[in-house]
Amino acid sequence: MFRRTLLASALLAASLPAPVLAQSELDALREEIRQMRQHYEARLAEMENRLKNAGTQAPARAETASPGVDRLGEVSAGGAFNPRISVILDGVYYSDNKRGAGPELYEHIDGITHGHGHDGHDHGGLERGFNLRETEIAFSATVSPYFDANLYLAVDSHGGVEVEEAYFDTRMLPGGLKLRGGKFLSGIGYLNGQHPHSWDFVDQNLAYRSLLGDHGLSDTGLQLTWLPRTGKVYSLLGLELLQGNDHHFVSGAAELPEDVHDIGFGDMAGGKAGPRLVTAFAKFGPDLGDSHALQFGVSHARGRQIQEVHDHRDENPNASVHGLSGDGWLWGADLVYKFDAPGAGGHGDFTLAAEYLRQRKDLEVAYHQSNAAVIGAPRKSTQDGYYVQAVYGFAPDWRVGVRYDVTGGINEVDRGASVSKMGKSDRWSLALTRDITEFSRLRLQASSADLMVEGDKERVNQVFLQYQHSLGTHGAHKF
Amino acid sequence: MRKLILLFALLFSPAAWAALEVAATTASMAMLAREIGGEAVSARVLAPPDRDPHTLQARPSMMRALRDADLVVAVGAELEVGWLPAAIAGAGNPRILPGRPGYFEAAAQVPLLEAGQAADRARGDVHPMGNPHVNLDPARMATVGHALAERLARLRPADAAGFRARAAAFERAVEARWPAWRARVAGHPGAVLHHKDGLYLFDRLGVPVLGYLEPVPGLPPSAAHLSGLAGRLKGKSGVILRQAWQPARGADFLAGQLGWPVRVVPMEPAVDAGADGWFGVIDAWVEALAAVKG
Repeated sequence: MFRRTLLASALLAASLPAPVLAQSELDALREEIRQMRQHYEARLAEMENRLKNAGTQAPARAETASPGVDRLGEVSAGGAFNPRISVILDGVYYSDNKRGAGPELYEHIDGITHGHGHDGHDHGGLERGFNLRETEIAFSATVSPYFDANLYLAVDSHGGVEVEEAYFDTRMLPGGLKLRGGKFLSGIGYLNGQHPHSWDFVDQNLAYRSLLGDHGLSDTGLQLTWLPRTGKVYSLLGLELLQGNDHHFVSGAAELPEDVHDIGFGDMAGGKAGPRLVTAFAKFGPDLGDSHALQFGVSHARGRQIQEVHDHRDENPNASVHGLSGDGWLWGADLVYKFDAPGAGGHGDFTLAAEYLRQRKDLEVAYHQSNAAVIGAPRKSTQDGYYVQAVYGFAPDWRVGVRYDVTGGINEVDRGASVSKMGKSDRWSLALTRDITEFSRLRLQASSADLMVEGDKERVNQVFLQYQHSLGTHGAHKF
Repeated sequence: MRKLILLFALLFSPAAWAALEVAATTASMAMLAREIGGEAVSARVLAPPDRDPHTLQARPSMMRALRDADLVVAVGAELEVGWLPAAIAGAGNPRILPGRPGYFEAAAQVPLLEAGQAADRARGDVHPMGNPHVNLDPARMATVGHALAERLARLRPADAAGFRARAAAFERAVEARWPAWRARVAGHPGAVLHHKDGLYLFDRLGVPVLGYLEPVPGLPPSAAHLSGLAGRLKGKSGVILRQAWQPARGADFLAGQLGWPVRVVPMEPAVDAGADGWFGVIDAWVEALAAVKG
């Protein structure tokens, strides 16, 4: 009642300058006011009526359409953007006990691929002080009923862009099959498929770093995965055909330097066409209920060709250029256990992950600048590595992680007549992570490593303070 | 003889014999699938009822269940955005992809509260398409039940009449309980919630939400926010409600300041619950509210 009086007086006040209006305008205005008043009274009566009945009636059905209307589709804000976009910002404050030489020492850890690391972008190449690490930009969309597609770009702090992944997935293959094509992170191992923002530690573990590269195994080709019907046990089988460029155990053809091309003994055989790398992997996970989860995996990768040219004349003018050719393989085993507690913000959650990798290169001397006798001499090199890491949510949104990682427990080159062994490098890391929200994270990590560099043991202590921010589409909580 | 052949054919035709495998994201969605689907449905819950469905991971066991599922029944509106899309992507099952008949979202069937908010994460972990917690609204659940009956009818046309009849029965059961729930909290002064998960039920019951312990959705209660709430609500009466997985500290602090009772309420029934189990969840909220009378 009060509101009606208020409305009427407001309208009356509005009509006060009436004397300056013509009679016809005044009539029109009065008519308008009368209509408005009628309209409001009708609406108020209706609302009062509804209020009166609200207590006694059953709830109104939540929609007015006919009963049982079924709508397809999902309710998703991300779907309004096509493709979905997300950006990960990643920055690190870094310090070490080697006046900033820590990352350089990590580059030269003794191993069978020493000095042959590819010089792509690098998550480890930090300076003392502030560092902007790679910014990840991800696009994903459903292309058609038949395909999904994803693109992950890594932009370094100087603006260099690298395609980390660009692939399509099939959607409609029957029987639990899925085909992926393009450039992608291989399905081998447990951590290999994870981007750096999903890691529980700032940096890559030593086993991956020295055997697969800082980003893990990523290549161009096809992947077929199959989820067979195995009751309550999860199982996934995968097979990949990859081009096989620039990995530690598979490569394209290597060219001899121009000036020794027509001299010396032997020759580098013509390179093989791709795909030069075949991988196979299997994962199994029994159903242990809602709180426990366990997954085992085994992986194998076989490289059809490795070619290496060793040209050390820059360091030693008397050195002979020589070339090695052969093939290589890698196998690995992984285990993940997770305990999921009901607590908020991951409070009480526990994760244990461990992986073992072993790599072999079966090479022989295919070319030598000055010594015919060594042509055909074997160069069999073997290196292994592993990591064990545990993460515990000791309070809501707080996690502490411990990692022990090793490379080169086995680390040797067999030259037929002699075997040269290299030392083992290992490291302990402790990481304290605070999830400020789902989309922002701070991490403090301290690492202490004993690295074998050119036969000498180097103690490298490092401290990292890292932030990560996730912009755009809500990320997936992968296992 | 013809009857015998027919019986034989029925027994051995896989469509008639095998129940529709439903993978429900939460226990209340499984309840609805069982209530509407009856014998024709076998439902399995992906997210355990005792934890926050926002924060789960896409576990191998979920992918295994989704691989075999004929139908996913999700709450939707991005409640499960962290894990369901990843689990579906890892399940290799084209039948249950969003947009296909094997993917059903409750939130897609009813109008949502708080829809059309700015997609601005300065306001917390917002759901711009609307508040997803529709599973606590009896009326919306009845509507979702009818929609689910239509979906099941599409997947299993032979049982369509049964699905529709059961959806109507579920709605009648809700209506039968409604006046008692409503009467129990008539004139209630209101409650403080931890998260916006009780919004639909409060809206339906006509009980005011006096505030949230979270300063914005997804952030833990801060001291400044709690003292602000305490100052604003001093001298009024009400009750503080939280889920078992939500931390007790904020609720207990505010209770100490205001002298209000704290009640722990369930969001979901047991994993194998039927309609009665789910009605028990609503009962629990109504009884928790009734701890204070206006």
